[in-house]
Amino acid sequence: MTQLPTPGATPAQPPPSEPIPAAAPPRPRWRETLGLLARNPTAAVSAVVLVLIVLVAVFDETLAPDGPNDQDPGRQLQPPSWAHPFGTDEFGRDVFSRVVLGAATSLRVGFLSVAFALVVGTLIGLLAGFYGRWVDDTLMRLMDVLFAFPAVLLAIAIVAIRGAGPANAILAIGIVYVPIFARVTRASVLGVREEVYVRASRSVGASDWRLITRHVLPNAAPPIIVQTSISLAFAVLAEAALSFLGLGPRRPNPSWGLMLADGRGFIEQAWWYTVFPGLAIVVTVLCFNLLGDGLRDVLDPRQRTLMAGGGR
Amino acid sequence: MTSTTKRQVLVSARGLEVHFPIRAGGLLRRGTGVLRAVDGVDLDVYRGETLGLVGESGCGKSTLGNALLRLVRPTGGTVSFDGAEVTAMSRAQLRDLRRRAGMVFQDPFASLDPRRTVAQTVGEPLEVHGLHPGRQARAARVRELLELVGLDPGVAARYPHEFSGGQRQRVGIARALAGEPDFLVCDEAIASLDVSVQAQVLNLLRRLQRQLGLTLLFISHDLSAVRHVSDRIAVMYLGRVVEVGPAAAVAAEPQMPYTRALLSAVPLPHPQLERSRRRIVLRGDVPSPARVPSGCRFRTRCPDVFEPCPDVDPALQPVGSAPGHVAACHLHGVVGTPVQRERPGEPVDAGDPAR
Repeated sequence: MTQLPTPGATPAQPPPSEPIPAAAPPRPRWRETLGLLARNPTAAVSAVVLVLIVLVAVFDETLAPDGPNDQDPGRQLQPPSWAHPFGTDEFGRDVFSRVVLGAATSLRVGFLSVAFALVVGTLIGLLAGFYGRWVDDTLMRLMDVLFAFPAVLLAIAIVAIRGAGPANAILAIGIVYVPIFARVTRASVLGVREEVYVRASRSVGASDWRLITRHVLPNAAPPIIVQTSISLAFAVLAEAALSFLGLGPRRPNPSWGLMLADGRGFIEQAWWYTVFPGLAIVVTVLCFNLLGDGLRDVLDPRQRTLMAGGGR
Repeated sequence: MTSTTKRQVLVSARGLEVHFPIRAGGLLRRGTGVLRAVDGVDLDVYRGETLGLVGESGCGKSTLGNALLRLVRPTGGTVSFDGAEVTAMSRAQLRDLRRRAGMVFQDPFASLDPRRTVAQTVGEPLEVHGLHPGRQARAARVRELLELVGLDPGVAARYPHEFSGGQRQRVGIARALAGEPDFLVCDEAIASLDVSVQAQVLNLLRRLQRQLGLTLLFISHDLSAVRHVSDRIAVMYLGRVVEVGPAAAVAAEPQMPYTRALLSAVPLPHPQLERSRRRIVLRGDVPSPARVPSGCRFRTRCPDVFEPCPDVDPALQPVGSAPGHVAACHLHGVVGTPVQRERPGEPVDAGDPAR
């Protein structure tokens, strides 16, 4: 054993670089995301419908032909007509106007409760997943306790303690969804924190906070985003359920859940009374779900290239 | 830089241990054993040199490299970097250490954050340490770094998945160099690259080492690559450094049976030499680092095992003709710490590989 080989031929310095793929036109990332989303028909349609629903909720008073509680005593429980496209209820109120005006209530409760759950749950999941050990044990056991209660029962209990009303409904639904976000986030973080690029970032001196916010959270985000979209769907449903049980927004102000509850008694004579608010819930929930699926695909940078690569 | 110039120690490990508890599942999580990934390593890295660290997979090379930068916490022993004790560093000192010491990782497909552009990845150390403040200055420095590693500075805005393995590894090297480190740990930095690209990256590392006066710890299981880049070679077996010396001396006259076996496995480029190459084939597998044999840890597979091997844990001692060549082997005289038995006269744990 007197000599060892050196690997291969030694190329001249500086070493020849491999060809680098032709430059893609620089585009802001969010625009690219939107562009890709537009190519996914289901998600695109869902997004458009949701935007329309939000617009309806924002401009409800302009769009609604009647006020929420304008009664027309001569025209109770009228079927859909040109004057009342969704018919009228037992007090002769225009169901179309009330569905439009109820959108704001339902969406506000949905968005705010999910926002609460998203922020609190994601933070808990990030800390539990990233630090592990006793932090993980403590936080997740707390989440398990919350999880042990049936969701609606817990929401009812919270509302019962704090009193009925929109603000407490938001808090109740939010608290119910905190453990779901915590679990989804933690599971995702457990995978990401072991990635070599996290260690690589630590090796150049990045702090824990920087690792969490710059590397772990963005890479753990897709399941959280999907969960947000799906939770929005469920939160709209939960708001409806709470209203249905009389624990959410109070009569006579319209909300989709309340309308379902009130229309239930007349379902044999006046199907439109329940069907239209019901449809509003179904369409909103479905769109949030479909958008969630579409976002999951689009937010993955590897799939992003596959999908965007076709035209280049 | 060779051993003849005046040498200054940059990084030094003394009795370094990284033990991982082995936990059985179950409610109580009792510790059931200890995995000795690094188990009493003494090693000096001299300023400006390239030290090659070789050994089989699982022998603790990478853990040692990580422990030197405190990316894993040593459970025992000390590490000093330029005179400062790494194991006792405060948060601020540790941040500074990680500016002055960089790391290049094995898998370039895993070591770059897929959601961050090349500029963000290479610029991260600049941000973290407040170097070249301001957008313009930072961008200029990133371009400079990309050029330094042989990449087109125009790729700064691109994402890692648009690059090949070799290009990604260059990005990883640029990141490691961003803080202008003195010390670079290359942890199997070429192992997952194509052979043709391996040579390019190897030569890039050599060029950078000369150009920037870096001190390099080159961890690899590829002996020919290590021989190609290293001034000195350290051989590791089962968590312990068993032989260290000038690269030429270790390659030409290995003094420890394990090193000999390792070297005999390298194919030779010349057909005649290759035909006459005699391979020393070791029996059995590497013992588990959870059950390290007593005395010399190589004795269960050593072709030259003799009587003191199970009883005395060999220390590194000067061997061969080259200065600075040391090996831990009783064939050169029995030096080391006698094994402590729980009860005198009890038979030594045989550590039989067949078990």
